[in-house]
Amino acid sequence: MDRTGALDGATPAATPPRRPAHALALAGAALLKGLAPWVLLVGIWEWAAAVGWSGATLFPPPSEFLRYAVESDFRIGFGNEAMTIPVAIVASALRVLAGLAIGFVAAIATGILISMSRTVSDMVLPLVRGLAPIAPIAWIPLGIVLFGIGNKTAIFVVFMGVYFILTISTVAAVHAVDQRLIKTARSYGASNTQLWTRVIFPSVLPQVFTMLRINFFAAWMAVLAAEMVGLKNGLGMMIILGREMFNTRLILLGMCMVGITGYLVDVLLVQIQRRILWWQP
Amino acid sequence: MKTLSCLNVGKVWASANGLAVTALRDIDLSVQQGEFVAIIGPSGCGKSTLLELIAGLEPVSSGRITLDGKPVTGPEPGVVMVFQEHSLFPWLTVQDNVGFGLAMKGVARGERQARVARLLARVRLTRFAQHRPHQLSGGMKQRVAIARALVENADFIMMDEPFAALDFQTRVLMQQFLLEVWSEFKPTIVFVTHHIDEAVLLADRVVVMSASPGRIIDDVVIDLPRPRRMTDAGFNDYRARLTGLLEGEVMRAYRQEEEADAA
Repeated sequence: MDRTGALDGATPAATPPRRPAHALALAGAALLKGLAPWVLLVGIWEWAAAVGWSGATLFPPPSEFLRYAVESDFRIGFGNEAMTIPVAIVASALRVLAGLAIGFVAAIATGILISMSRTVSDMVLPLVRGLAPIAPIAWIPLGIVLFGIGNKTAIFVVFMGVYFILTISTVAAVHAVDQRLIKTARSYGASNTQLWTRVIFPSVLPQVFTMLRINFFAAWMAVLAAEMVGLKNGLGMMIILGREMFNTRLILLGMCMVGITGYLVDVLLVQIQRRILWWQP
Repeated sequence: MKTLSCLNVGKVWASANGLAVTALRDIDLSVQQGEFVAIIGPSGCGKSTLLELIAGLEPVSSGRITLDGKPVTGPEPGVVMVFQEHSLFPWLTVQDNVGFGLAMKGVARGERQARVARLLARVRLTRFAQHRPHQLSGGMKQRVAIARALVENADFIMMDEPFAALDFQTRVLMQQFLLEVWSEFKPTIVFVTHHIDEAVLLADRVVVMSASPGRIIDDVVIDLPRPRRMTDAGFNDYRARLTGLLEGEVMRAYRQEEEADAA
C-alpha cells in the first residue's frame, strides 16, 4: 500500500474553509467601489440645490429630507395615525418576508406533490400556469375584499405573487434533478419516500430559492402598492401621505427608505441562501 | 462463493416517437465473486444499461439476471453503483455521503459513524471527513464515491466509467487506488470503460460488446501477472486484439448511423 503515499501527495488539497486575510481587503475595495456612484449622485444633487437649482423644491436633496426626518422626530402622520419611520420599515419588511416564507414553503410542497403524479401534474399545471402571470399588484383589490385592510391582505398579495411562479419553478427543478443522484440513491437502498425527502427535496431548493430572490422585488413593490391604496402603515403609506400633503420631502424620504430597505432585505436573502444552501458554489 | 449471472438478457426501450429500441440482446455473462471484469464497447452499445440491469435499477425485458441463483428484481443490497464524477450528494459532507446507504437502511447513527470513520481511515480520507464535495478535486470525489461503495460491504460494485472525467495523471493514480482497494477489500468489480488500456491494466477478463443492439462478441481473459504496467511484454498483444475487435464494431456502428440518417 506504499503507492498511495504518492496518491495522497498528488491529490490537490481541498480548499481551506477559512477566508484568507486579503479577502477582507478585497471586500472593502468592492464596498468602496459600490459606494462611489452613490456619493457622486448625492454630491451632484446637493450641489445643484446649493447653487439654486429651481427643481430643488420638487426634489429636495438628501440633506433636506433627512433633516426633515430628524426634525419630525422620525414620526410621520397625524394624531393617532402617526407612526415612526422604523415602525414603517419593520411593518413593510415583515409583511413581505412573511408572504415570501409562506409562499416558498407552500410552493415547494405543492410542486413536489404535483411532480409525484403524472395525472395530477397534467391536471394542475395548466391552472397554475394560468394564474402565475397575474402580477402581484393585481391581487390587491381581491385581497382587500377578502381580508379587509390589514396585514393579512399584504401577506396574501405577496403570497399570490410568488406562490404560482415558485410552484412552476419547483416542478421544473424536480424534472431537472440529476438522474445519477437518483440512481445512486436507489442503488444504495433509498425507498421512494427517502428519494423525495433526502435527494429530490434538497436538489430543488437552490433553484427555487433563486427564483424567490428574483421575484422578491415584484413582491416588495406589491406590498408598497397595497400600503398606498389602503393599509394604515408602512413605507408605501408614507409616500402616499407625502403626496396628499404635497410634502415632497416626505415622498423622497419614503422612496429613499423603500430603496434601502428593499436592498437590505435582498442582502438578507443572499445571506440565507449562503448559510442554508451552502453547497451551491 | 457468490455468482452473478445474466442469462439471455435483453432490454428494449420505448423511444420518444413510440418505436421500440433494442438496447441489449442475448447477453450471457457470468461473474464469480472476487473477479474484476471490464466491459468495453462502442458508444451507445448498452454497456451502462447492462450495469443498471444488474444493479436492479431497471427491469430486464427478456431473460434473467440472478445473484446466487436468486433473480434480481430491484436494487439489491449486495450490488452498488459507482458513476462518473457528479454522483456525490453536494449538500452532504464526505462523511455523510459515505454513510448515505447505511442511513437509508436505518443503521443507527452511532454505528454508522463508527463504520464510516473506520473505512475513511482505511482509504486515507479521514482528514476530508467534514469537507463538502465542491471542495474536493475530481480524483478525491471518486475516492469518496468508492469509499461509499466499500462501506456497504457489498459483494458487487458496478462502476460506470468512473474515471472518464479525470485527467490522465489523476486517472493513473485512481487506477492504482482501485487496484489496492480491490486487493484489500476483495469486492467483485464490473467496470465499464472506453479505454482499452484501462481495461487490460485492471481486469481479469475483458468483455467486448458489439455496436447497438449490444451483444457480447468476445470475452478475453487477461493472463498477465500483477502488478501490471502498460510497458509489460504481452500487454500490447491484448491491446492489439481488443482494438481490432472494437474497431470493427465502431465502424459498424458508424455505418448503421449513416444508414439511419439516410433513411
